[in-house]
Amino acid sequence: MAEDLDVLDKTRIAPVDSLRRADEDLRLPVVARPSTLPLEPPLVPQVGEQTHAVGLRAQRPDSRDHGLGLTRYIDDIALPGMLYARIKRAGVASARIKSIDISAAEAMPGVMAVLLGREIPTNLFGTSIVDQPLLADPIVRQAGDGVAAVAAVTEQIAQAACDAIKVEYEPLPGVYDAIEALKPESHKVHGGDTNVYAKKVIRQGDVERGFAESYRIYEDEYYTPGIEHAPMEPFTSIADWDSNGRLTVYASIGRITLARVDLSKTLHVPISRIRVIGTIVGGNFGGKNEIRHEPVLALLAKKAGRPVKGRFTRVEEFVASTIRHAFFMKYKTGVSKDGKILARQIRMILDGGAYCSFSETTLGKACILSTGPYHVPNSFIEGYVVYTNKTTAGSMRGFGAPQVCFAYESQMDDIARDLKIDPLELRMKNFFRDGSMTATGQVLHSVKVIESMQNAVKKFGWETQS
Amino acid sequence: MKHRGRGLASMWYPVGFTGYANPSGAVVKVNEDGTAVVLTGTVETGQGSLGVLGQIAAEALGLAPNDIHIISGDTDTCPMDTGAIASRTTYITGNAVRIAAEKARDILFEVAAEMLGVKPNMLEAKDHKIQVQSFPSRNVAIADVSSRAHNGIGTPPIGSATWNPPMVPMDPETGQGKPFGTYVYATQIAEVDVDDETGEVEVLRVTASHDCGTAINPMLVEGQIDGGVYMGLGFALYEEILFDKAGKQINCNLTNYIMPTTLDMPAIDEDIVENYDHTGPFGAKAVGEPSLVPTAPAITNAIYDAVGVRITALPATAERVLAAIKAKRAREQKQIPA
Repeated sequence: MAEDLDVLDKTRIAPVDSLRRADEDLRLPVVARPSTLPLEPPLVPQVGEQTHAVGLRAQRPDSRDHGLGLTRYIDDIALPGMLYARIKRAGVASARIKSIDISAAEAMPGVMAVLLGREIPTNLFGTSIVDQPLLADPIVRQAGDGVAAVAAVTEQIAQAACDAIKVEYEPLPGVYDAIEALKPESHKVHGGDTNVYAKKVIRQGDVERGFAESYRIYEDEYYTPGIEHAPMEPFTSIADWDSNGRLTVYASIGRITLARVDLSKTLHVPISRIRVIGTIVGGNFGGKNEIRHEPVLALLAKKAGRPVKGRFTRVEEFVASTIRHAFFMKYKTGVSKDGKILARQIRMILDGGAYCSFSETTLGKACILSTGPYHVPNSFIEGYVVYTNKTTAGSMRGFGAPQVCFAYESQMDDIARDLKIDPLELRMKNFFRDGSMTATGQVLHSVKVIESMQNAVKKFGWETQS
Repeated sequence: MKHRGRGLASMWYPVGFTGYANPSGAVVKVNEDGTAVVLTGTVETGQGSLGVLGQIAAEALGLAPNDIHIISGDTDTCPMDTGAIASRTTYITGNAVRIAAEKARDILFEVAAEMLGVKPNMLEAKDHKIQVQSFPSRNVAIADVSSRAHNGIGTPPIGSATWNPPMVPMDPETGQGKPFGTYVYATQIAEVDVDDETGEVEVLRVTASHDCGTAINPMLVEGQIDGGVYMGLGFALYEEILFDKAGKQINCNLTNYIMPTTLDMPAIDEDIVENYDHTGPFGAKAVGEPSLVPTAPAITNAIYDAVGVRITALPATAERVLAAIKAKRAREQKQIPA
């Protein structure tokens, strides 16, 4: 007991850095599976017997492995002779690389390969606009940009080698605010004459006439911030070449076919010579929908002649992957005296960060959905995504929908309160029904928004309260 | 003092990509013993999609979920798939699996028709048997049919299919078009306690009613709703990446990027709206992303109901809520004539 307390006290006073180091030193490879497996038929009996499969509360095929802790995530996979990669991050948000000195890193015992951006055959990727380098060369556009990569026999040596790489930067002006980025005099993250890289316009009916006919007009502004996916498992991949020059990439990624195409384009290797194995993903939420470091690992593996695993630290997961777009939204809504929405004009600015990633489709979904699940006869929606020297915004669960829903549902409550109409009744008056037309002119089927509200109200007990 | 409030928010959400092709392929092979293998290029990301795809294949083949083995996530063995993104797996990959399974089943019907002496279009697959519609006593086990297909006739039951949602790209000038195959709908209601001295918000319970078409596996739908409410709670009250003036993240670790914990979770009452979408596999649509969409406005509307302040910038941290309460008090005091 006394010893226990002693240990506790020591850890309490230990500096954070030494604690972290101790943790890294102690981190061992995965060992010791349970000795016996209960292999008797485990599944819920009905899963094996009943053949009305749809609608069944069937046990998942992977639930036993998860429950027993036997699921093999990518970090449980180790290939013979495998090296570990680390990527050196810029740490400055806008700069030009003047020089990189890798001599000290290359000389370190245990370092097997060092890679720079200029060695990558096509050092660019992207799902719509192809604008993101795998390793910045020579312009750094966000603090999380990689500038060099190292493969070594341990992760610790790879990190030490990254620390030993000397990079000289020439600072460049930067832009760190989406509204600022719209101004003509702002720094242009990718050159050219504007930071706006995607635009969406949707027009339906005559919005001016709609406002002219309105009894009241409400104008409000809303903001939602950038947030992180924070999956339990950070981005991790392994690259391995065979003697015929065929590449196998194990990756914790949700889109293996796209990953294979992007590997082919960046490495100039035919698709038939690439195999991507998608391992069980330990949390995605949209953050693992495109390649991040796989071509870098492949080139390190080629240089070193050994398989290479790269895994992001938690900090890299924040600064070097993507985040949710921050939204600036202006809502102008005209309603009739009895609470019918007659017109809605919406303008939104999305902070896209340093590179495009999934910004175009996020903007598209946000604009289409921005009128809410309501029949709006006249609408005018315009949205813009701008480059800033901040962390790249990409796909995240909801693709712009949570942001616009926050705006339209906040305003619906305010309108109801101002018109002294019950907020449920106001929504009921305006909800889509089967056959309603959206802002893009699509006629809807299978609309159940009214039923969802009725069910929720009943289950919550809304009517029975005051 | 703590004030209780309740707020409601509804939403709609599309399934699949915005006006772009996003197909999925699938291969279904029925084995000699009447079990089956499904090949899909999607990846299990924790949501249970492989279980759902297995249930879809089982339903189409007249088998049980336990009879299906799924191979996924390997570009060497699996057909093309746009991936686990845009809430599209059940709807789009599910349709591909359903059609592929039906093609394999049709090969079994050809073989069984001869064995039962009827036309193939009079048959149905159910309870591990192929039987004559309306005459279930005239049947033959799928295992026997498949064995005969493999070893007797020489037509192994293998089906492959691809599916892409029907859509019309949007006009760049007016935005007019049919960008998605279908949409889902939901309403969530939140009940909160707001402390007007600290600004702290506690979410007590959330009722979440979601339309996802047919729920292929209601347990997994409820799981998705629970996870969505968790993410929505973080979006509403806690999470925000902060940048310094030079564009570097300040709170880029879990020590200072605050996310909800299990102790912050409200009680969640899930509800699945009954629906059948004729474009989905066995009427199914989606639930993955939509489950988080209405949570934040339901919570901020509940904050308004409790203390009368409108939060227009997320997250509604205690500091922001308290500042809004103080501003409201200051406004009200000014209105009292001297």
